[in-house]
Amino acid sequence: MSYVSIFMQYVGQYMKTRLTYRTDMIVEIFSDLLFQAVNLVFILVVFGHTKLLSGWTKDEIIFIYGFFLIPFAVFSTFFNIWDFNERYIVKGELDRILTRPIHSLFQVILERLELESMFGVITGLVVMVYAGQNLGLTIEWYDPVLFLLFVLGGSLVYAGIFISIATISFWSDSRTAIMPMMYNIGNFGRYPVNIYNQIIRFVLTWILPFAFVGVCPAAFFLGKTDWYLYAFLTPVMGIAFFIFSIILWNIGVTKYRGAGN
Amino acid sequence: MSNLMIDVDNLTKEFKSHSSRSGLKGAFRDLLTRNYTVHQAVDSISLKIKPGEMVGYIGENGAGKSTTIKMLTGILTPTAGNVRINGMNPHKERERFVKTIGVVFGQRSQLWWDIAVQESFRLLKKVYNVSDEDYKSHMGLVIEALDIAPLLDKPVRKLSLGQRMRCELAAALIHNPPLLFLDEPTIGLDVLVKLKIREFLKELNDRYQTTVVLTTHDLTDIEALCERVIMLDEGKIIYDGALSQLKTSWGEGKQIQFHFTSPKTREELLETTGSELVVWEPSENANSWTANVTNDEEVISVLIKDVVADHKILDLKLLETSTEEIIRNIYEEGVIHG
Repeated sequence: MSYVSIFMQYVGQYMKTRLTYRTDMIVEIFSDLLFQAVNLVFILVVFGHTKLLSGWTKDEIIFIYGFFLIPFAVFSTFFNIWDFNERYIVKGELDRILTRPIHSLFQVILERLELESMFGVITGLVVMVYAGQNLGLTIEWYDPVLFLLFVLGGSLVYAGIFISIATISFWSDSRTAIMPMMYNIGNFGRYPVNIYNQIIRFVLTWILPFAFVGVCPAAFFLGKTDWYLYAFLTPVMGIAFFIFSIILWNIGVTKYRGAGN
Repeated sequence: MSNLMIDVDNLTKEFKSHSSRSGLKGAFRDLLTRNYTVHQAVDSISLKIKPGEMVGYIGENGAGKSTTIKMLTGILTPTAGNVRINGMNPHKERERFVKTIGVVFGQRSQLWWDIAVQESFRLLKKVYNVSDEDYKSHMGLVIEALDIAPLLDKPVRKLSLGQRMRCELAAALIHNPPLLFLDEPTIGLDVLVKLKIREFLKELNDRYQTTVVLTTHDLTDIEALCERVIMLDEGKIIYDGALSQLKTSWGEGKQIQFHFTSPKTREELLETTGSELVVWEPSENANSWTANVTNDEEVISVLIKDVVADHKILDLKLLETSTEEIIRNIYEEGVIHG
């Protein structure tokens, strides 16, 4: 399929330019690592004061965090579109995108690739293995398959939410603080949602379903049977939200007004 | 099936924008109810362009040129009207349609900033799915004609504007489209590069019968390339026809500029020439006046004879109205006569 080969072309080109700015890449990976370390320390600090958090132990929370890092890394690699409004709408870069014979969103994704974010997958796996060993978890034959399915679902949930928010720019090109806010709300998903109050819990499950990026799928591997239903909903939610966002995008493109002159 | 390249019927684009009220009180009222003003950027225009034509699309800033081009290239969705280009509807079949057009926006780069020009070309070749043979035979010619071979391994950000523009043009032609849109392609370029680009476009048109739609503020581009001009004002077409006809129907007058040895008043001059056939206008200083007359040998000869007989002159110049002036006159009067 030609989309795959175009994707490979872009990745090749990306590598070439990135490798010429090697220090940039190292600094970026390092700052990502530092950011993740700070989050871990925060979890450790909380558990310095208590043994359980709404029934979750320290290692379980760390395990959820580790899992969360993986779909988040996939999302950051491909859907790094937080500056979509400024770059493509205000500056009118979308004009160029729209004169090329490939789906506009696919082009935006290709241009905003950030492959070094994939490093987060390794960090996530390390954290999960560490926490998993402390918890004495065992791996069944179907676990890797489900793991991939859940990661994919979680990434699509994230992508769906952020694409939907990006499409707001098609209707209103004023700058909003909604993207950074969404990043913060996204971070809620890496803790078990039952530590929050009813309303936040509902929002994180059904409206901005960040719960499906972290706690829901991770709970399956922790063997929390009362979460199984939610865990298996992960791919469903992912696909549903992603399709919804694509439809929204396709409608939005017809409302594009072009950069003002 | 029509054999038109571009067939546009009653094309309209409205932009809705809210106008804010003044003052703090106004700002609060804006929160509740908004005043919308509808602005007709393009107001039911119709035009037909045949394959192989080179058409100049001109108008002042904000006349709706870019909006039209953006609708014709499938970037903007029209509010009303029909567009068929190459037998396709640009915004409905966007991905199929854009394979048949090339677009150059003078103020916006199509190329990737950080990578070498040829890498950009390679990506575009993939994007447009151009075969190796087609690329080699066609782009070889383009690269040679635009003289960009030495630039191919440089990153775009290191190129001068003229170099970049030539590369942009080449990039827009990678898939050898039958239709080319150029939006201000020569903006900010020096004369040599302009000439090169014009020459290239002519060659392209000769060789492949490429249809070209060109918007520009530089009328010399249009004079050099286009037989037909379409003129736009406030979203409406006010002229669509041959450039030569525009010149004959508007540029029928001649101007004769006299430099006298001493200051003259209009009355003195009118005494000499009468007011029936000539309109006098003061020029740079009190000593110089310009006579506007019809382009008629008899009238011009008599005028010069009369003036020279009555007044001492230092210098005399015969001027023909330039296209630029014609266009300015048209915009000042807002209508086309004749």
